[in-house]
Amino acid sequence: MNSMPRLILVLTLITAGAGLILSLVELVTREPIAEQRRLETLRALKAVLPQANNSPDEDTVQLVTGKDKRGRDVQRTFFRGKQDGALSGVAFKVVAPDGYSGNIDIMVGIDPSGTIAGIEILSHAETPGLGDKITLPSFKANFAGKNLGNTDWRVKKDGGEFDQITGATISPRAVVGAVRKGLEFFRDHRDEVLAENQGDKP
Amino acid sequence: MTLGREFLKALWQNNAVFRLLLGLCPALAVTTSAENGLGMGLATTFVLVCSNIVVSSLRKVIPAKVRIPSFIVVIASFVTVVQLCMEAYFYDLYKALGIFIPLIVVNCLILGRAEAFASKNRLFPAVVDGVGMGLGFTLALFVLGSVRELFGSGALLGYSVFGPDYQPLLLMILPPGAFIAMGLLLAVMNKLDARHK
Repeated sequence: MNSMPRLILVLTLITAGAGLILSLVELVTREPIAEQRRLETLRALKAVLPQANNSPDEDTVQLVTGKDKRGRDVQRTFFRGKQDGALSGVAFKVVAPDGYSGNIDIMVGIDPSGTIAGIEILSHAETPGLGDKITLPSFKANFAGKNLGNTDWRVKKDGGEFDQITGATISPRAVVGAVRKGLEFFRDHRDEVLAENQGDKP
Repeated sequence: MTLGREFLKALWQNNAVFRLLLGLCPALAVTTSAENGLGMGLATTFVLVCSNIVVSSLRKVIPAKVRIPSFIVVIASFVTVVQLCMEAYFYDLYKALGIFIPLIVVNCLILGRAEAFASKNRLFPAVVDGVGMGLGFTLALFVLGSVRELFGSGALLGYSVFGPDYQPLLLMILPPGAFIAMGLLLAVMNKLDARHK
């Protein structure tokens, strides 16, 4: 009864059925998922670019920030916020690889001179109740108004100016470090980011 | 064997976490807060009920020799369906639970019920068993998550309980706290049981 052809046939039919269902569900959910991700980016951009009335997610510049382990280019997207057509701020995403667990993705918003308007934590896997306090407004407010010139970019425990979180120093330290590196990259590539010719959409 | 008794057995006497000690990986990893426990429990319940339905309906079609791969395919498909739907329609919940959803596939509770119950019973009892087991699992995760959140961050479901002066017992929301809380809860359950006998 349990002959080989029957085993093969049943298992094949089951996996084919599963594949069919999955492809249908993927088809139905693809649009909403893309829309959710876009909305999320847009929400973060709104939060860190207070003075913008364009669609920053459509006015972008891509720059190469380095190479990954396999020698491929790592790109960073700069979102440009404009108020009535005049550049009012730039937002970009930085990744802090040295958090307590996993990467911390951060959206940083700055004015054209390089002073921070605000930051948003996009995703993280820090310990709930401890490291995840980096998402609190009181921690994020630390960053507003700071730039590379006016601030010692370390947490207070290390002698700098940023409040760490009681019981969790690693997560804030990672965020501060990543934002600082992002600012330095912007400082070194400011002209390319602000150049008008590329990435513009009517 | 009445369905009501079957349901209670699945929910309580054979509680997945506290009695059978099944599915401990998600039970320990996810329960840093009551809300996470609840979400994970409900997602698992959905997958469990669906996989029980399919496995029970196909129990005469699937040859014994390939039943395990068949069950795994069914379970993994439902998990992916849950993940995609959650990301598309419940994005906030997905953000909170996203990395744990794939863990449902390796939850031995689901495979265990497919193997031990659904593949041997008719459709309706299998559904009842899935709901009971799933809710039992949800209950266990919720209790574990509540205990850990209460002591670890002084809150319950995000609302502060002990006030701002409470010094959180950080150990409880770190991984060792999961084992400690689990052990203490098991001890309490065993104590209660011993008294009933």
